[in-house]
Amino acid sequence: MLKGHRRLDDVTTNMAALGTARRLLRTCSRVKNVQRGEQRSVRCGLRTLCSGTRDHALSDNTRPQFTDPAVQDLLTRMTGLDLQKVFRPIKEELKPPTYKLMTDQQLEEAVELATQQAEKLLQMPPLLSERKPISDVLSVDKILDGMDTAKYVFTDITYNILHRERFIVVREPDGTLRKASWEERDRLVQVYFPKEGRKLTAPLIFKEGNLKMVFSQDRHEDVLDLCLVQFEPDSSDYIRVHAATYEDLDKHGKYELLRSTRHFGGMTWYLLGARRADGLIVDMLKRDLLQDAVSLVSLFHMVHPHSESAQEAASQQAAGADLLKIYADKESQKSGYIELALQAYEQLTTKKSSAE
Amino acid sequence: MVHLSSLLLKNYHGGYVVIRLALAGHKQANRPFYRIVAAYNKRARDGKYLEQLGSYDPLPNIYNEKLVSFNFDRIKYWIGCGAHPTKPVAKLLGLAGFFPLHPMTITEAERRRAQTELIATEDVLQEGQKEAEV
Repeated sequence: MLKGHRRLDDVTTNMAALGTARRLLRTCSRVKNVQRGEQRSVRCGLRTLCSGTRDHALSDNTRPQFTDPAVQDLLTRMTGLDLQKVFRPIKEELKPPTYKLMTDQQLEEAVELATQQAEKLLQMPPLLSERKPISDVLSVDKILDGMDTAKYVFTDITYNILHRERFIVVREPDGTLRKASWEERDRLVQVYFPKEGRKLTAPLIFKEGNLKMVFSQDRHEDVLDLCLVQFEPDSSDYIRVHAATYEDLDKHGKYELLRSTRHFGGMTWYLLGARRADGLIVDMLKRDLLQDAVSLVSLFHMVHPHSESAQEAASQQAAGADLLKIYADKESQKSGYIELALQAYEQLTTKKSSAE
Repeated sequence: MVHLSSLLLKNYHGGYVVIRLALAGHKQANRPFYRIVAAYNKRARDGKYLEQLGSYDPLPNIYNEKLVSFNFDRIKYWIGCGAHPTKPVAKLLGLAGFFPLHPMTITEAERRRAQTELIATEDVLQEGQKEAEV
Protein backbone atom coordinates (compact mmCIF):
# COMPACT_ATOMS: atom_id res chain seq x y z
CA MET A 1 0.00 0.00 0.00
CA LEU A 2 2.85 2.34 0.91
CA LYS A 3 4.44 1.80 -2.46
CA GLY A 4 1.17 2.71 -4.14
CA HIS A 5 0.95 5.97 -2.17
CA ARG A 6 4.52 6.92 -3.03
CA ARG A 7 3.86 6.28 -6.70
CA LEU A 8 0.70 8.28 -6.36
CA ASP A 9 2.60 11.25 -4.98
CA ASP A 10 5.15 11.06 -7.77
CA VAL A 11 2.53 10.81 -10.44
CA THR A 12 0.40 13.55 -8.98
CA THR A 13 3.35 15.87 -8.80
CA ASN A 14 4.03 14.89 -12.37
CA MET A 15 0.43 15.61 -13.23
CA ALA A 16 0.75 18.96 -11.50
CA ALA A 17 3.79 19.69 -13.59
CA LEU A 18 1.86 18.43 -16.60
CA GLY A 19 -1.10 20.59 -15.78
CA THR A 20 0.94 23.72 -15.29
CA ALA A 21 3.19 22.84 -18.18
CA ARG A 22 0.36 22.21 -20.68
CA ARG A 23 2.30 24.69 -22.75
CA LEU A 24 5.48 22.80 -23.49
CA LEU A 25 7.96 24.64 -21.29
CA ARG A 26 11.66 24.26 -20.97
CA THR A 27 13.99 25.68 -18.38
CA CYS A 28 15.43 28.75 -19.98
CA SER A 29 15.02 30.32 -16.57
CA ARG A 30 17.99 28.35 -15.26
CA VAL A 31 20.25 29.89 -17.82
CA LYS A 32 18.78 33.30 -17.15
CA ASN A 33 20.02 32.87 -13.61
CA VAL A 34 23.49 32.73 -14.99
CA GLN A 35 22.91 36.04 -16.73
CA ARG A 36 20.59 38.08 -14.63
CA GLY A 37 19.36 36.25 -11.59
CA GLU A 38 15.70 36.65 -12.53
CA GLN A 39 13.28 33.75 -12.24
CA ARG A 40 11.02 33.70 -15.21
CA SER A 41 9.84 30.62 -17.06
CA VAL A 42 10.01 31.22 -20.76
CA ARG A 43 8.14 29.51 -23.50
CA CYS A 44 10.45 27.82 -25.94
CA GLY A 45 9.39 27.28 -29.49
CA LEU A 46 8.92 23.59 -29.98
CA ARG A 47 10.41 22.63 -33.27
CA THR A 48 8.66 19.74 -34.90
CA LEU A 49 10.34 17.00 -36.88
CA CYS A 50 10.93 18.12 -40.40
CA SER A 51 9.51 15.92 -43.10
CA GLY A 52 11.84 13.67 -44.99
CA THR A 53 11.89 15.78 -48.17
CA ARG A 54 14.74 18.05 -47.02
CA ASP A 55 18.12 17.00 -48.23
CA HIS A 56 21.53 17.80 -46.80
CA ALA A 57 24.18 19.43 -48.86
CA LEU A 58 26.80 17.28 -47.14
CA SER A 59 25.50 13.75 -47.58
CA ASP A 60 24.87 11.79 -50.75
CA ASN A 61 21.57 10.35 -51.84
CA THR A 62 22.53 6.85 -50.69
CA ARG A 63 23.58 7.91 -47.16
CA PRO A 64 20.90 7.61 -44.48
CA GLN A 65 19.56 10.98 -43.36
CA PHE A 66 18.81 12.15 -39.84
CA THR A 67 15.12 12.12 -40.67
CA ASP A 68 14.86 8.52 -41.92
CA PRO A 69 12.27 6.59 -39.90
CA ALA A 70 14.71 3.75 -39.17
CA VAL A 71 17.36 6.17 -37.90
CA GLN A 72 14.80 8.11 -35.87
CA ASP A 73 13.49 4.89 -34.35
CA LEU A 74 16.94 3.82 -33.20
CA LEU A 75 17.71 7.27 -31.83
CA THR A 76 14.44 7.48 -29.88
CA ARG A 77 15.10 4.09 -28.37
CA MET A 78 18.53 5.20 -27.26
CA THR A 79 17.19 8.45 -25.83
CA GLY A 80 15.20 6.50 -23.31
CA LEU A 81 12.08 7.66 -21.52
CA ASP A 82 12.84 8.46 -17.91
CA LEU A 83 9.62 10.06 -16.72
CA GLN A 84 11.24 11.30 -13.56
CA LYS A 85 13.82 13.26 -15.47
CA VAL A 86 11.47 14.57 -18.18
CA PHE A 87 8.97 15.89 -15.68
CA ARG A 88 11.34 17.03 -13.01
CA PRO A 89 10.13 20.27 -11.44
CA ILE A 90 10.94 23.34 -13.48
CA LYS A 91 11.71 26.51 -11.61
CA GLU A 92 8.37 28.28 -11.49
CA GLU A 93 6.46 30.09 -8.79
CA LEU A 94 5.90 27.87 -5.80
CA LYS A 95 2.51 26.23 -5.74
CA PRO A 96 1.46 23.55 -3.29
CA PRO A 97 1.11 20.21 -5.06
CA THR A 98 -2.35 18.83 -5.78
CA TYR A 99 -3.21 15.35 -4.62
CA LYS A 100 -5.68 13.11 -6.39
CA LEU A 101 -7.16 9.87 -5.21
CA MET A 102 -7.11 7.33 -8.02
CA THR A 103 -7.76 3.68 -8.54
CA ASP A 104 -5.01 1.53 -10.01
CA GLN A 105 -6.59 1.71 -13.43
CA GLN A 106 -6.77 5.50 -13.32
CA LEU A 107 -3.16 5.55 -12.23
CA GLU A 108 -2.19 3.48 -15.25
CA GLU A 109 -4.10 5.82 -17.53
CA ALA A 110 -2.38 8.81 -15.96
CA VAL A 111 1.01 7.20 -16.47
CA GLU A 112 0.11 6.48 -20.10
CA LEU A 113 -0.90 10.08 -20.61
CA ALA A 114 2.36 11.17 -19.04
CA THR A 115 4.33 8.91 -21.40
CA GLN A 116 2.57 10.39 -24.41
CA GLN A 117 3.29 13.89 -23.18
CA ALA A 118 6.90 12.92 -22.55
CA GLU A 119 7.20 11.57 -26.09
CA LYS A 120 5.97 14.87 -27.44
CA LEU A 121 8.45 16.74 -25.25
CA LEU A 122 11.22 14.48 -26.46
CA GLN A 123 10.71 15.29 -30.14
CA MET A 124 14.07 15.89 -31.70
CA PRO A 125 14.80 19.36 -33.06
CA PRO A 126 15.55 19.48 -36.80
CA LEU A 127 19.07 19.04 -38.11
CA LEU A 128 19.89 21.11 -41.18
CA SER A 129 23.06 22.02 -42.99
CA GLU A 130 24.36 25.56 -42.71
CA ARG A 131 22.51 28.13 -44.75
CA LYS A 132 24.23 29.85 -47.64
CA PRO A 133 24.64 33.64 -47.34
CA ILE A 134 22.26 35.80 -49.36
CA SER A 135 23.92 38.21 -51.74
CA ASP A 136 21.21 39.26 -54.15
CA VAL A 137 21.33 42.79 -55.55
CA LEU A 138 18.00 43.91 -56.94
CA SER A 139 19.11 47.20 -58.50
CA VAL A 140 22.06 49.56 -58.58
CA ASP A 141 21.01 53.22 -58.79
CA LYS A 142 24.05 55.41 -58.96
CA ILE A 143 21.85 58.53 -59.20
CA LEU A 144 20.86 58.01 -55.57
CA ASP A 145 24.41 58.09 -54.29
CA GLY A 146 24.67 60.13 -51.12
CA MET A 147 20.91 60.47 -50.58
CA ASP A 148 21.17 59.74 -46.88
CA THR A 149 23.67 58.72 -44.22
CA ALA A 150 21.65 55.73 -42.99
CA LYS A 151 20.37 52.57 -44.67
CA TYR A 152 16.66 52.03 -45.20
CA VAL A 153 15.40 48.57 -44.38
CA PHE A 154 12.01 47.65 -45.84
CA THR A 155 10.11 44.69 -44.44
CA ASP A 156 6.93 43.17 -45.82
CA ILE A 157 4.43 42.80 -43.00
CA THR A 158 1.85 40.70 -44.84
CA TYR A 159 0.52 38.25 -42.32
CA ASN A 160 0.06 35.13 -44.39
CA ILE A 161 3.60 34.52 -45.62
CA LEU A 162 6.27 32.28 -44.16
CA HIS A 163 9.14 34.12 -42.53
CA ARG A 164 11.54 32.40 -44.91
CA GLU A 165 9.77 33.84 -47.94
CA ARG A 166 9.25 37.34 -46.61
CA PHE A 167 10.68 40.23 -48.64
CA ILE A 168 13.23 42.16 -46.62
CA VAL A 169 15.30 44.59 -48.69
CA VAL A 170 17.90 47.18 -47.79
CA ARG A 171 18.56 50.43 -49.65
CA GLU A 172 22.17 51.43 -48.98
CA PRO A 173 23.26 55.11 -48.88
CA ASP A 174 25.06 54.61 -52.18
CA GLY A 175 21.82 53.64 -53.90
CA THR A 176 22.06 49.85 -54.19
CA LEU A 177 18.91 47.91 -53.39
CA ARG A 178 19.88 44.50 -52.05
CA LYS A 179 18.19 41.67 -50.18
CA ALA A 180 18.88 41.59 -46.45
CA SER A 181 21.41 39.10 -45.07
CA TRP A 182 20.34 36.20 -42.83
CA GLU A 183 21.31 37.97 -39.59
CA GLU A 184 19.38 41.10 -40.59
CA ARG A 185 16.41 38.95 -41.57
CA ASP A 186 16.36 37.15 -38.21
CA ARG A 187 16.59 40.42 -36.34
CA LEU A 188 13.84 42.17 -38.31
CA VAL A 189 11.48 39.22 -38.20
CA GLN A 190 11.95 39.24 -34.44
CA VAL A 191 11.19 43.02 -34.38
CA TYR A 192 7.93 42.76 -36.30
CA PHE A 193 6.82 39.26 -35.34
CA PRO A 194 8.34 38.72 -31.93
CA LYS A 195 8.79 35.15 -30.76
CA GLU A 196 8.66 34.53 -27.05
CA GLY A 197 12.04 33.86 -25.53
CA ARG A 198 14.05 35.17 -28.44
CA LYS A 199 16.23 38.24 -28.02
CA LEU A 200 17.24 40.74 -30.71
CA THR A 201 20.92 40.36 -29.88
CA ALA A 202 22.15 36.90 -28.96
CA PRO A 203 22.62 36.38 -25.20
CA LEU A 204 26.21 36.65 -24.02
CA ILE A 205 26.18 33.03 -22.91
CA PHE A 206 26.91 31.91 -26.45
CA LYS A 207 30.37 33.43 -26.44
CA GLU A 208 33.26 30.97 -26.20
CA GLY A 209 34.49 31.81 -22.70
CA ASN A 210 30.99 31.89 -21.24
CA LEU A 211 30.14 28.56 -22.86
CA LYS A 212 33.13 26.99 -21.12
CA MET A 213 32.01 28.33 -17.78
CA VAL A 214 28.49 26.99 -18.25
CA PHE A 215 29.81 23.58 -19.30
CA SER A 216 31.88 23.40 -16.14
CA GLN A 217 28.58 23.81 -14.26
CA ASP A 218 27.05 20.85 -16.13
CA ARG A 219 24.33 22.95 -17.73
CA HIS A 220 24.60 21.65 -21.26
CA GLU A 221 20.89 20.98 -21.56
CA ASP A 222 19.97 24.56 -20.65
CA VAL A 223 22.42 25.94 -23.17
CA LEU A 224 20.95 23.73 -25.88
CA ASP A 225 17.39 24.72 -25.00
CA LEU A 226 18.29 28.41 -25.10
CA CYS A 227 20.10 27.92 -28.39
CA LEU A 228 17.03 26.23 -29.84
CA VAL A 229 14.86 29.22 -28.93
CA GLN A 230 17.30 31.91 -29.99
CA PHE A 231 18.71 30.72 -33.31
CA GLU A 232 17.30 29.27 -36.50
CA PRO A 233 18.30 25.62 -36.98
CA ASP A 234 20.35 26.30 -40.06
CA SER A 235 22.23 29.34 -38.80
CA SER A 236 25.96 29.14 -38.21
CA ASP A 237 25.59 30.10 -34.52
CA TYR A 238 23.21 27.22 -33.85
CA ILE A 239 25.55 24.70 -35.47
CA ARG A 240 28.59 26.17 -33.71
CA VAL A 241 26.99 26.05 -30.25
CA HIS A 242 25.70 22.53 -30.75
CA ALA A 243 29.08 21.33 -31.99
CA ALA A 244 30.83 22.94 -29.01
CA THR A 245 28.36 21.35 -26.57
CA TYR A 246 28.71 17.88 -28.05
CA GLU A 247 32.50 18.17 -28.11
CA ASP A 248 32.57 19.13 -24.47
CA LEU A 249 30.23 16.28 -23.53
CA ASP A 250 32.37 13.82 -25.43
CA LYS A 251 35.56 15.12 -23.83
CA HIS A 252 34.27 14.71 -20.29
CA GLY A 253 32.05 11.71 -20.92
CA LYS A 254 28.95 13.38 -19.46
CA TYR A 255 26.45 11.63 -21.73
CA GLU A 256 24.06 10.99 -18.88
CA LEU A 257 23.13 14.69 -18.79
CA LEU A 258 21.37 14.43 -22.11
CA ARG A 259 20.09 10.90 -21.79
CA SER A 260 16.33 11.44 -21.49
CA THR A 261 16.14 14.78 -23.28
CA ARG A 262 15.36 15.77 -26.84
CA HIS A 263 19.01 16.57 -27.61
CA PHE A 264 20.29 13.02 -27.23
CA GLY A 265 19.53 12.08 -30.83
CA GLY A 266 21.37 15.09 -32.17
CA MET A 267 24.40 14.34 -30.05
CA THR A 268 24.50 10.70 -31.16
CA TRP A 269 24.19 11.71 -34.80
CA TYR A 270 27.05 14.21 -34.45
CA LEU A 271 29.32 11.71 -32.74
CA LEU A 272 28.54 9.06 -35.35
CA GLY A 273 29.31 11.48 -38.14
CA ALA A 274 32.65 12.25 -36.53
CA ARG A 275 33.25 8.52 -35.83
CA ARG A 276 33.80 9.19 -32.17
CA ALA A 277 31.11 7.03 -30.64
CA ASP A 278 33.49 4.98 -28.47
CA GLY A 279 33.03 7.06 -25.34
CA LEU A 280 29.28 6.76 -25.70
CA ILE A 281 29.39 2.96 -26.10
CA VAL A 282 31.64 2.66 -23.06
CA ASP A 283 29.23 4.81 -21.06
CA MET A 284 26.26 2.70 -22.14
CA LEU A 285 28.02 -0.52 -21.19
CA LYS A 286 28.92 0.95 -17.81
CA ARG A 287 25.25 1.56 -17.18
CA ASP A 288 24.28 -1.93 -18.42
CA LEU A 289 22.37 -0.67 -21.44
CA LEU A 290 23.35 -3.41 -23.85
CA GLN A 291 20.38 -2.89 -26.15
CA ASP A 292 21.26 0.77 -26.58
CA ALA A 293 24.86 -0.09 -27.36
CA VAL A 294 23.74 -2.63 -29.96
CA SER A 295 21.37 -0.13 -31.60
CA LEU A 296 24.17 2.45 -31.59
CA VAL A 297 26.49 0.07 -33.41
CA SER A 298 23.79 -0.84 -35.94
CA LEU A 299 23.19 2.89 -36.53
CA PHE A 300 26.92 3.34 -37.06
CA HIS A 301 26.82 0.60 -39.69
CA MET A 302 23.88 2.29 -41.38
CA VAL A 303 25.68 5.63 -41.49
CA HIS A 304 29.06 4.28 -42.59
CA PRO A 305 28.20 1.28 -44.74
CA HIS A 306 31.66 1.15 -46.31
CA SER A 307 33.63 0.77 -43.09
CA GLU A 308 35.29 -2.53 -42.19
CA SER A 309 33.07 -3.39 -39.27
CA ALA A 310 29.93 -2.75 -41.31
CA GLN A 311 31.05 -5.09 -44.04
CA GLU A 312 32.07 -7.75 -41.47
CA ALA A 313 28.72 -7.51 -39.74
CA ALA A 314 26.84 -7.73 -43.03
CA SER A 315 28.83 -10.82 -44.08
CA GLN A 316 28.33 -12.56 -40.73
CA GLN A 317 24.72 -11.37 -40.23
CA ALA A 318 25.61 -10.66 -36.61
CA ALA A 319 23.18 -9.50 -33.98
CA GLY A 320 23.35 -8.42 -30.35
CA ALA A 321 26.62 -8.80 -28.49
CA ASP A 322 28.41 -10.17 -31.59
CA LEU A 323 27.90 -6.80 -33.31
CA LEU A 324 29.60 -5.14 -30.39
CA LYS A 325 32.53 -7.56 -30.59
CA ILE A 326 32.98 -6.91 -34.31
CA TYR A 327 32.83 -3.17 -33.72
CA ALA A 328 35.30 -3.40 -30.87
CA ASP A 329 37.74 -5.39 -33.03
CA LYS A 330 37.58 -3.30 -36.16
CA GLU A 331 36.70 0.28 -35.43
CA SER A 332 37.08 1.50 -31.91
CA GLN A 333 40.16 2.78 -30.12
CA LYS A 334 38.96 1.65 -26.72
CA SER A 335 38.45 -1.96 -27.80
CA GLY A 336 40.00 -3.32 -24.62
CA TYR A 337 37.42 -1.68 -22.42
CA ILE A 338 34.50 -2.73 -24.59
CA GLU A 339 35.63 -6.37 -24.57
CA LEU A 340 36.07 -6.31 -20.80
CA ALA A 341 32.62 -4.83 -20.32
CA LEU A 342 31.10 -7.41 -22.68
CA GLN A 343 32.72 -10.23 -20.73
CA ALA A 344 31.42 -8.81 -17.46
CA TYR A 345 27.91 -8.58 -18.95
CA GLU A 346 28.04 -12.15 -20.20
CA GLN A 347 29.17 -13.36 -16.77
CA LEU A 348 26.25 -11.52 -15.18
CA THR A 349 23.73 -13.04 -17.58
CA THR A 350 25.11 -16.57 -17.09
CA LYS A 351 24.98 -16.08 -13.32
CA LYS A 352 21.36 -14.90 -13.53
CA SER A 353 20.32 -17.78 -15.76
CA SER A 354 22.15 -20.31 -13.54
CA ALA A 355 20.55 -18.73 -10.42
CA GLU A 356 17.11 -19.10 -12.03
CA MET B 1 -30.12 65.00 -27.83
CA VAL B 2 -28.70 62.37 -30.14
CA HIS B 3 -26.23 63.65 -32.68
CA LEU B 4 -28.16 62.86 -35.82
CA SER B 5 -25.29 63.84 -38.11
CA SER B 6 -22.95 61.14 -36.89
CA LEU B 7 -25.72 58.52 -37.17
CA LEU B 8 -26.74 59.52 -40.70
CA LEU B 9 -23.38 60.51 -42.14
CA LYS B 10 -21.39 57.61 -40.75
CA ASN B 11 -20.62 56.19 -44.16
CA TYR B 12 -20.59 59.39 -46.18
CA HIS B 13 -17.49 61.45 -46.19
CA GLY B 14 -17.39 63.20 -49.54
CA GLY B 15 -13.65 62.90 -49.41
CA TYR B 16 -11.15 60.38 -50.66
CA VAL B 17 -8.79 57.90 -49.04
CA VAL B 18 -5.10 58.71 -48.69
CA ILE B 19 -2.14 56.64 -47.63
CA ARG B 20 -0.04 58.93 -45.46
CA LEU B 21 2.25 59.12 -42.47
CA ALA B 22 0.58 59.72 -39.11
CA LEU B 23 2.64 60.66 -36.10
CA ALA B 24 2.41 58.12 -33.29
CA GLY B 25 3.73 58.15 -29.74
CA HIS B 26 2.69 61.77 -29.31
CA LYS B 27 3.47 61.87 -25.62
CA GLN B 28 7.25 61.70 -26.20
CA ALA B 29 8.96 64.88 -27.27
CA ASN B 30 11.79 64.76 -29.82
CA ARG B 31 11.19 61.12 -30.68
CA PRO B 32 9.09 60.88 -33.85
CA PHE B 33 7.64 57.61 -35.08
CA TYR B 34 5.26 57.42 -38.00
CA ARG B 35 2.53 54.96 -38.84
CA ILE B 36 1.77 54.44 -42.51
CA VAL B 37 -1.97 54.67 -42.56
CA ALA B 38 -4.96 54.60 -44.90
CA ALA B 39 -7.31 57.38 -43.77
CA TYR B 40 -9.90 59.78 -45.17
CA ASN B 41 -8.43 62.97 -46.52
CA LYS B 42 -10.17 65.43 -44.22
CA ARG B 43 -9.43 63.57 -40.98
CA ALA B 44 -6.85 64.93 -38.52
CA ARG B 45 -3.34 63.74 -39.22
CA ASP B 46 -3.17 61.64 -36.07
CA GLY B 47 -6.91 60.97 -35.83
CA LYS B 48 -9.06 58.00 -36.65
CA TYR B 49 -7.79 56.03 -39.63
CA LEU B 50 -9.22 53.19 -41.68
CA GLU B 51 -6.29 50.79 -41.46
CA GLN B 52 -2.63 50.81 -40.49
CA LEU B 53 -0.46 49.66 -43.34
CA GLY B 54 3.00 49.89 -41.82
CA SER B 55 5.42 52.00 -39.87
CA TYR B 56 8.41 54.27 -40.40
CA ASP B 57 11.07 55.10 -37.85
CA PRO B 58 12.99 58.19 -39.01
CA LEU B 59 15.77 57.89 -36.44
CA PRO B 60 18.49 55.35 -37.32
CA ASN B 61 19.16 52.52 -34.84
CA ILE B 62 22.48 51.11 -33.57
CA TYR B 63 23.05 49.37 -36.90
CA ASN B 64 22.51 52.68 -38.72
CA GLU B 65 19.25 51.48 -40.26
CA LYS B 66 15.94 53.30 -40.60
CA LEU B 67 13.26 50.65 -40.21
CA VAL B 68 10.30 50.83 -42.54
CA SER B 69 7.58 48.23 -42.77
CA PHE B 70 4.87 47.88 -45.42
CA ASN B 71 1.90 45.56 -45.62
CA PHE B 72 2.10 45.28 -49.39
CA ASP B 73 -0.97 43.10 -49.68
CA ARG B 74 -3.23 45.71 -48.08
CA ILE B 75 -1.46 48.63 -49.82
CA LYS B 76 -2.31 47.00 -53.14
CA TYR B 77 -5.91 46.67 -51.97
CA TRP B 78 -6.25 50.34 -51.01
CA ILE B 79 -4.58 51.57 -54.18
CA GLY B 80 -6.98 49.34 -56.02
CA CYS B 81 -9.83 51.08 -54.15
CA GLY B 82 -8.53 54.43 -55.36
CA ALA B 83 -6.37 55.68 -52.49
CA HIS B 84 -3.75 58.33 -53.19
CA PRO B 85 -0.36 58.05 -51.53
CA THR B 86 1.19 61.28 -50.29
CA LYS B 87 4.63 62.51 -51.30
CA PRO B 88 6.67 61.03 -48.42
CA VAL B 89 4.90 57.68 -48.71
CA ALA B 90 5.50 57.66 -52.46
CA LYS B 91 9.17 58.43 -51.83
CA LEU B 92 9.48 55.56 -49.36
CA LEU B 93 7.73 53.16 -51.69
CA GLY B 94 10.05 54.29 -54.48
CA LEU B 95 13.08 53.61 -52.31
CA ALA B 96 11.66 50.19 -51.45
CA GLY B 97 11.31 49.32 -55.10
CA PHE B 98 7.54 48.95 -55.02
CA PHE B 99 6.97 52.20 -56.96
CA PRO B 100 9.35 53.69 -59.49
CA LEU B 101 11.81 56.16 -57.97
CA HIS B 102 10.31 59.50 -57.03
CA PRO B 103 11.92 62.40 -58.92
CA MET B 104 12.34 64.39 -55.71
CA THR B 105 14.48 61.62 -54.20
CA ILE B 106 16.84 61.92 -57.13
CA THR B 107 16.82 65.71 -56.91
CA GLU B 108 17.54 65.62 -53.19
CA ALA B 109 20.38 63.18 -53.71
CA GLU B 110 21.90 65.46 -56.35
CA ARG B 111 21.50 68.49 -54.09
CA ARG B 112 23.20 66.68 -51.22
CA ARG B 113 26.08 65.64 -53.41
CA ALA B 114 26.50 69.23 -54.63
CA GLN B 115 26.47 70.42 -51.02
CA THR B 116 29.13 67.94 -49.91
CA GLU B 117 31.32 68.87 -52.88
CA LEU B 118 30.94 72.53 -52.01
CA ILE B 119 31.98 71.91 -48.41
CA ALA B 120 34.91 69.78 -49.57
CA THR B 121 36.18 72.49 -51.98
CA GLU B 122 35.76 75.17 -49.28
CA ASP B 123 37.84 73.07 -46.88
CA VAL B 124 40.55 72.61 -49.48
CA LEU B 125 40.59 76.37 -50.17
CA GLN B 126 40.81 77.18 -46.46
CA GLU B 127 43.70 74.75 -45.95
CA GLY B 128 45.46 76.24 -48.96
CA GLN B 129 45.06 79.75 -47.50
CA LYS B 130 46.40 78.61 -44.11
CA GLU B 131 49.45 77.06 -45.72
CA ALA B 132 50.03 80.22 -47.74
CA GLU B 133 49.86 82.33 -44.54
CA VAL B 134 52.30 80.01 -42.77
